[in-house]
Amino acid sequence: MYKWFALKRILKGIFTYAIIILVLSALFNTVTDKTMRADIEEQVRAESSRLKNIQPAALQRFQEQRRQDLIKLYRLDRPLVERIFFRAWNTLTFNFGKSTIIKSSRGEREVLSIVGEALPRTLILFTTAALIEIIIGITLGLKKAQKPGGVMDRTTSIITMVVYGMPTFWVAMIFIMLFVYQLKIFPSSGMHSVPPPQGIMYFFDSLWHMALPLLTLVLIGFWGVAYYVRNIVMGVLQDDYIMAARARGIPEHSVLFGHTLRTAAPPIMTMSILSLLSSISGAIIFEGIFSWPGLGNLYWIAVQQNDIPVLMGDLAITTGIYQVGLIILDLSYGFMDPRIKVGGKA
Amino acid sequence: MSAGDTKFKLAEFWNEFKKEKSGLVGLVLLILCLLTVIFEPLILPWKEVNTKWRDIDYWQDNPANAPPEWTNAFSSVKSPVTQRLTAATREEADLDGGAKMVTYTLNYKYEADKAPLDVIFHISGTGDIPLIVSIERPDGIRVELAQRFEQGISDQDIRISVDNDGRNAAFAFIKQYESEQALQEYSSSSLRTADMLFNTARQGMASEFKPLKGTYKLVAQAMILDPATMDIKDPTVVVTGSVSGLLGTDDSKRDLASGLIAGMKWALLIGFLTSIVSVVIGVLYGIVAAYYGGKVDSVMMFIYQIVNSIPVLPVLIVISAIFKPNIYTLILVMVTFFWTGSVMTVRSMALQIKEETYIEAAKALGAKNKRIIFKHMLPLLVPYSFASMALSVPSAIVYESSVSLLGLGDATIVTWGQILHDAMQGAAVLKGLWWWIIPPGLLIALMGMTFAFIGFSMDKILHPKLQTR
Repeated sequence: MYKWFALKRILKGIFTYAIIILVLSALFNTVTDKTMRADIEEQVRAESSRLKNIQPAALQRFQEQRRQDLIKLYRLDRPLVERIFFRAWNTLTFNFGKSTIIKSSRGEREVLSIVGEALPRTLILFTTAALIEIIIGITLGLKKAQKPGGVMDRTTSIITMVVYGMPTFWVAMIFIMLFVYQLKIFPSSGMHSVPPPQGIMYFFDSLWHMALPLLTLVLIGFWGVAYYVRNIVMGVLQDDYIMAARARGIPEHSVLFGHTLRTAAPPIMTMSILSLLSSISGAIIFEGIFSWPGLGNLYWIAVQQNDIPVLMGDLAITTGIYQVGLIILDLSYGFMDPRIKVGGKA
Repeated sequence: MSAGDTKFKLAEFWNEFKKEKSGLVGLVLLILCLLTVIFEPLILPWKEVNTKWRDIDYWQDNPANAPPEWTNAFSSVKSPVTQRLTAATREEADLDGGAKMVTYTLNYKYEADKAPLDVIFHISGTGDIPLIVSIERPDGIRVELAQRFEQGISDQDIRISVDNDGRNAAFAFIKQYESEQALQEYSSSSLRTADMLFNTARQGMASEFKPLKGTYKLVAQAMILDPATMDIKDPTVVVTGSVSGLLGTDDSKRDLASGLIAGMKWALLIGFLTSIVSVVIGVLYGIVAAYYGGKVDSVMMFIYQIVNSIPVLPVLIVISAIFKPNIYTLILVMVTFFWTGSVMTVRSMALQIKEETYIEAAKALGAKNKRIIFKHMLPLLVPYSFASMALSVPSAIVYESSVSLLGLGDATIVTWGQILHDAMQGAAVLKGLWWWIIPPGLLIALMGMTFAFIGFSMDKILHPKLQTR
């Protein structure tokens, strides 16, 4: 039954994504119209400058003809509703068009390749950070739940609250000031040295560049994970079967990691993925501080260069990953908690 | 549930809350923030910061990128503090033909180890004013720094910056002590005016600064030809030091402490307005969905799920980049995403409450839906709503500052995020201008902490399973 549950959830995710894209397409309709018209003008100008030995009248006719053709091609002459749907469909089929200024590392102006090359960099940074956060968070959270109200529980809870509203980008700025310019132990920006070293050194070089952004994300992130793990585990620890297990003389370690963690796994999993998603939806621009060339950094560049197509493409892809994350969230939940997949109800 | 019951519930809640130490700390911090906002006009070092934050002229007398005053305490070489001198003595001397010589003298006590950056005279004059500015050093030497002749002005500010206008005079002053040979290496433009003026007069003063500490008399003098219609008044002298204010200045010479205090009210407004409106919407949404159930519930849950699966910050950035909203529009946009935060919990709580017998009784008595929702269900969810509000304040503030950090903030106000944006633009990270970076973020974090303390404490009371006692 799990596959039906999964299929249903995936279809629902795609449907939700389509609706969001449609809404965004409607919201940003005017500005897209404007950039498309500017785009057409530019193209017509480029084409007419290529023509030689042509009468002014003929040139004008040609330009007018081309302009009309392109307007028809981009459906700018169609009614509003059709334009909105047309563009939403284009976005859904990853047809983002061309950027106005920004180029990809290979010099392409296709928005898809610009965003596409940023995507894996964001994913690798955020998922690695999330993994480390989860490992530290679960260990710390279990320790906290073991002795609630103890010294460690209280101090870590206070730190959790202290970092609760701390902006990631600000911590990033301070880390850069401290570790890069004062202590000079980490590189200031980018993904690797220029020129990139070869072979195994490339890997270490990348790791060295990734260390500081990773450290920032983890140091801000794991407190919250630990706090929620503690709360979930504390709830489980009050269950009768835990008392029974302890009464049978099962070692505390095994009660904690075997009995408790198995039951607490689905909500912990949910929470971990949610924390990854919330850092994508809330802290992504911190990449800009490190010039980590991912999706978040692309927002900075696109805003500074006022490159609307890239901004839109970036948004569509970010929303897309977010959607995928939500789907994985539900699927993993169903996988871990058998009560959910029975009956195939979402 | 009557109003009295609600009051009792809240009193009970307060009794519980009092036991949470961190909650009380949060509450005290919150009250401090509110007091800062209320007494803002009294605390502000620069009173017009709210309207003139982006006005270059307003800040022109400050030093740029100056560290805070109190950094002197940690440094063996004391820097002069930026001071505004207003206590002036006025002397008048009658001249022939009805004219008067008006002299203003201000005392500046110079104790630092480094010379100030500049000394700036401000005096307001009416009529034709021939103004002479001079300085009388503790060793009795008097240097006439600059002359200015303003014609036909009416109560206008005359600004004389000694660094620019007194450079030649100061160079002439050191010429008397320095040998020809030593002077050949220097010209008037290679030395700072203040370095010459506050130096001990001796051979070799061009190459080395040795502070002459003591009281300097700063003198502004004008011959008033017709005392009936012409006058000078209100002299002010700004001694621009290399440290300034409580929290230093940025590269546009703005006083950061003033900017941060002015940003406090916006942070609170953004946080409170966003969280209150969105929690009210969310709670009502959840109750209505749970109460009516069936098709209404399905449709409402569908809408909820769609809104909930939009990544907030990216959308917020794109909307800000394209529509350039002001602060209230931005809050509105945030509300459209934030309301989902409390819906699910409220819905599940409301589903339980709905099955209570007293709801059934109320229905049997013919109570209208509206009455049941507002009178019988909503009051039970009030404590939860408060906790939820407190916990969503920090993220609203952080989102606004993230948008501002990208330079997309409302340009008519001062927010902490905008100060951080300016710091990024001004390469403060590279230059190590920590007083420009740490305080704004620290305030954001502190504000977040305040509400986290309050919110988590409420949360603990509301979920008895989490209690450690």
